[in-house]
Amino acid sequence: MATVSQSTRLKVLFFGRLKDLIGQAEDSVNSADAATIEQLFAHYAARNPELAKYRPSLVASRNQEFVAWDTPLHPGDEVAFLPPVSGG
Amino acid sequence: MTTTPSYNDVCQLVREPIDVPALIRHVRAPEDGAIVTFDGFVRNQSHNRPTLYLDYEAYESMALAKMREIAAELHEQFSIHCVAIVHRLGRLEIGETSVFIAVSAPHRAAAFDACRFAIDTLKRTVPIWKKEYFEDGAVWADGELPPAPAATSHAKPAS
Repeated sequence: MATVSQSTRLKVLFFGRLKDLIGQAEDSVNSADAATIEQLFAHYAARNPELAKYRPSLVASRNQEFVAWDTPLHPGDEVAFLPPVSGG
Repeated sequence: MTTTPSYNDVCQLVREPIDVPALIRHVRAPEDGAIVTFDGFVRNQSHNRPTLYLDYEAYESMALAKMREIAAELHEQFSIHCVAIVHRLGRLEIGETSVFIAVSAPHRAAAFDACRFAIDTLKRTVPIWKKEYFEDGAVWADGELPPAPAATSHAKPAS
């Protein structure tokens, strides 16, 4: 509903087995909590240690482009953690 | 960033059965001489385990963007006329089409090459996932890890 200052937030999306593991498809975190994709992942891995073992078999996207783990994040960014894709 | 020319391409994610004849009609034009299609459908087993059904999900906005990138790349690389790429999401039963690609071209070689390139690239780069349902449970299918940059150009030392 009413959104409070979305611009200070990061939108975070989880798909496939990650969604099952995290227990939610979408989250929102304060952009001050993560300067890079790697730090954002660490933020979730700290709360869910199981997640860390998936790290080698994931890619990340920022604003719908595949990006490196050291990519800086900015308020308003949409980040997704993506398991190996299996469409087709 | 390249601007997208105004080809009459179709890139869609759908939740109802894919209308294959309509897509073939869509890409077909008088200046063409060939259409090559790829029809990917649900197999009745996976690694010799009988499959009950599949459930597909996507990062929809990004998947559509990546499908459009594939279509644009086909026009850059191959002498083709028009492309249709449609993927279905949700629950699919055995034998139902999950992905359909049609490429029209003046000559067959370009249509074959482009269609093969399109499905191979889709399977590697488009964020879609399938969950396989069996008698005794469900698993996310093994997939391919999309290529991503190893580090940004202004990389800091790894932490």
